[in-house]
Amino acid sequence: MKGIDEQTYYEILEVSSAATSREIQKAYEHAKETFHTDSLAVYSLFSEQEIQGIQVAIEEAYRVLMDETLRKSYDQSHYQILGQQKLEKPPEIPAPLREKKPPRASADVPVHVGEEIYRGKTLRQIRERMSIDLETIAQETRINLKTLELIEGEDLEKLPPLVYLKGFLKGYAQSLGLDPHKVVEEYVHFLDEEKKKIAS
Amino acid sequence: MVRSGNAPYLFKNMGPTQSKDSKTIWTIGGGKGGSGKSFITVNMGICLSKSGSRVILVDADLGGANLHTFLGLPPPAFTLSDFIKKRVKHLHEVLIPTEVPNLFLLTGAQDLLNAMDSKNVQKRKLLRSIQHLEGDYVLVDLGGGNSISVLDFFLMSDGGILVVTPEPTSIENTYRFLKSAFYRRLRQSVSSHAVKALIDGAMDRKSEIAIQNPYELIKAVRRINEEEAKKIEMEVETFQPNLILNQVRSRKDIEIGFSIRSACQKYFGIRLHYLGYIVYDQDVGYSVRRRRPLVLENAHSRAAQCVSEIASKLASRHQMSFQF
Repeated sequence: MKGIDEQTYYEILEVSSAATSREIQKAYEHAKETFHTDSLAVYSLFSEQEIQGIQVAIEEAYRVLMDETLRKSYDQSHYQILGQQKLEKPPEIPAPLREKKPPRASADVPVHVGEEIYRGKTLRQIRERMSIDLETIAQETRINLKTLELIEGEDLEKLPPLVYLKGFLKGYAQSLGLDPHKVVEEYVHFLDEEKKKIAS
Repeated sequence: MVRSGNAPYLFKNMGPTQSKDSKTIWTIGGGKGGSGKSFITVNMGICLSKSGSRVILVDADLGGANLHTFLGLPPPAFTLSDFIKKRVKHLHEVLIPTEVPNLFLLTGAQDLLNAMDSKNVQKRKLLRSIQHLEGDYVLVDLGGGNSISVLDFFLMSDGGILVVTPEPTSIENTYRFLKSAFYRRLRQSVSSHAVKALIDGAMDRKSEIAIQNPYELIKAVRRINEEEAKKIEMEVETFQPNLILNQVRSRKDIEIGFSIRSACQKYFGIRLHYLGYIVYDQDVGYSVRRRRPLVLENAHSRAAQCVSEIASKLASRHQMSFQF
């Protein structure tokens, strides 16, 4: 049995060391939900201090594992520390989702999506951290590339009608391994708030 | 409202729970009364018996033995008390056949387990006899409470099943029950008095021994007795209880099961198997009032389908998992 400070980043997020960025994203969403301060599953089991410690560990694990360079470096140092002879196979991102070019510059900047709601900007940040280009999402989801750009760009004037938008958001969220209900709910809430601001 | 069945999730192999003579004993417990343990025991038992397996339901609910009511049977003439009080020699003599082929009931008198707390010999005899019953599956309904006897019955098999509803009170009581069972199991595995005292200290929050969680306990034990620490770690490794989430109303409720599993992994270091969920369904209440098991009365109801699916996964030893 290991304490949270002895667990590997993979153990903290409950994923295998070969997990894809999509799996890590999903595991992170789950861990964040589970160890939220108000979560029914933890408040009666852990102290507030313990929960805070786990939350910090989850954010750190996510930050490192979602960054290809940091992850490689972590894997190497971790297995060296353990004295293991053989390095595990580096994580494999499914071919259609792997961008050929190196991750964009913004992927090096930590994104604390846990503190933000899902809106166009956050969806783009998550996608970029996963090194997936928008064309690939368009191919996979069969959502028009222009529509995806409008979703990320939060263009209130040009976004499709709400009934269609919800479907597009759901498909986009699923392709990133995010909770589609949460993404739709928060994105629509964000739009409502923006519209109110404009009206006032 | 959520769909019946557990289809959107994958099922993974779960740990072995079968005893040496290929009989499987499942003990159904959890902290709170009213979470649906008896309903699940009866209906799951019927589902398992339908596949031709010989199933024995043991009513060890100390708050009130009433599995017979769920099955529409009158209060039984013979109970576990007759065996304990030596009015019958063998446990199988108090087995009651039911209208369901292959399904038998062994019912207990009220407060049976409480009464046995001080009589360890009787308890061991009963546990041993249950383990020697002839059947493919033995499902033991424990009811609520955290008494020593309830814990010992729960720990009788590695396949203890916790039934929880997605409410704070139910989850809180279940954790309390799980902590008690967990520490009781650890305590049984060690022989050193000093280590037993540490475990007792960990169980008692007001104790002067400042051990807040199982991880700190193992560290403390390791400082005084490395061998006993290894035994405890082995117990943690092999303790793999199961979880059924009952009365779920939304997708969010279903996911609480996964969160409980993750919380148990982080806190206890144990692998909790999430067997599945049962949707909230008014047909459950109707069937209980009619004293007819739901899977017989209304097999197509959403709750019945959930129970049936869990029983089928239980028989093939699978658990729910996230689909990445």
